[in-house]
Amino acid sequence: MAHPADPLSRRRSLGLLLGAAPTLLLGGCALNGVSEAVGAATQPLNERLEALLQGKGKLPEFRPSQVDPAALLINSFNGTPEFTPGSYRLAVSGLVSRPLNLDLAALAALPQQQCVIRHVCVEGWSAIVAWSGPRLADVVALAGLSPLAGYVFIESADQYYESWDLASALHPQTLLATHMNGAPLPAANGAPVRLATPIKLGYKLSKWVTSLKLMATLGDRRGYWEDQGYEWFAGL
Amino acid sequence: MPTSTRRPRAPIRYAPLWTRAFHSFNLLVILLMAASGLQIYNANPVFGGRGGATVPELFTLGGWLAGGRDWHFGVMGLYAANLGVWIGLLIRQRHQRLAALADVGTLRASNNTPKRRLAAHRLVYTLMLIVLGFSLITGMAMYKPAQFWWLVGPFSFAEAAGHDSWQVLRVCHLATIPAIALLLGAHVVLSWRVGGLRLWRSMAV
Repeated sequence: MAHPADPLSRRRSLGLLLGAAPTLLLGGCALNGVSEAVGAATQPLNERLEALLQGKGKLPEFRPSQVDPAALLINSFNGTPEFTPGSYRLAVSGLVSRPLNLDLAALAALPQQQCVIRHVCVEGWSAIVAWSGPRLADVVALAGLSPLAGYVFIESADQYYESWDLASALHPQTLLATHMNGAPLPAANGAPVRLATPIKLGYKLSKWVTSLKLMATLGDRRGYWEDQGYEWFAGL
Repeated sequence: MPTSTRRPRAPIRYAPLWTRAFHSFNLLVILLMAASGLQIYNANPVFGGRGGATVPELFTLGGWLAGGRDWHFGVMGLYAANLGVWIGLLIRQRHQRLAALADVGTLRASNNTPKRRLAAHRLVYTLMLIVLGFSLITGMAMYKPAQFWWLVGPFSFAEAAGHDSWQVLRVCHLATIPAIALLLGAHVVLSWRVGGLRLWRSMAV
């Protein structure tokens, strides 16, 4: 029986609860504007932990039979750029002792490695893919890495840009992939050269890579999607 | 039956302050995690992929994928720490309040309604803690699938049937939302039946 003196009778408290529910939902919409501040407050710590978590050694790979070509979706912010056959050059510049302009034959002459790894998109889907090509570390070593370098700025033919920490770029499974699933890389997947690694989300894996620039610090342009609010480290 | 002479009520026995604090904070944080999680869901629906149906904006938090991720990964540390310390303290200091096999026995054998409700309620809230723990495990596996490959491994059980461990993880992680919503409904109803407003107030901050 409800007690008249009780300020929180059964009926009243139920009414209060029902009344509070829409407030919560409305509050949710107002909270959308705070998202960026929440990210700014928590990402530095998260990114530091991610970097600590990431080892320097090789991670386990998948069996070639687990590759699922149909699962790999195509994402591009600006279509597919066209290359004149034979004109492709990869520029390696910045904090290196020998700036390079490598053609595809020079990349093919480096030791080739295959990685069967899970490609994870920030959207939520993933696909197991077999990438092959030279290690990014070998290309950087060819140019003579300066000890001052801490970051790699990566530019693509479609104006996409990215920046990576050096440890992730030099990881033994980070490739400049020229082949996918045993065949030359298709244009939509980044031909002739794209990044591939098991340790980064898909938006870090630039397609149609034309330039690697070794830097001491991160600039204002940290990445096409990062500059719009995505996390920079994006480790897996 | 109500009688004309009311017995003077015993004072409310409040739960320890730490229990109330962990309980309330957990409620707040799981609302944020669920809403931002549904925002992330909408970027690529677990069911149907790019063509799949999305969750109404009303139930999402963040406005777009990056905003949802800001919340989800911003709050996950607080959620994990709160849940971990809370479960640890419960096991150490109040394990007699957690469900045990005896509660299943009560539900099977007893005809005493209040006793049955109490047992059911203990099972429900203990199960909630387990489901929340499961959301943490599946979440960690998807947050760092390469570094925590050993955490992904157990979810490859359906590979022979053509279900990739990633999709299994996504379904499992998502399933914790309806599971918790159902258990929350049962938790509210049962706690009301067990102790009414006095029990609710004993858990309020």
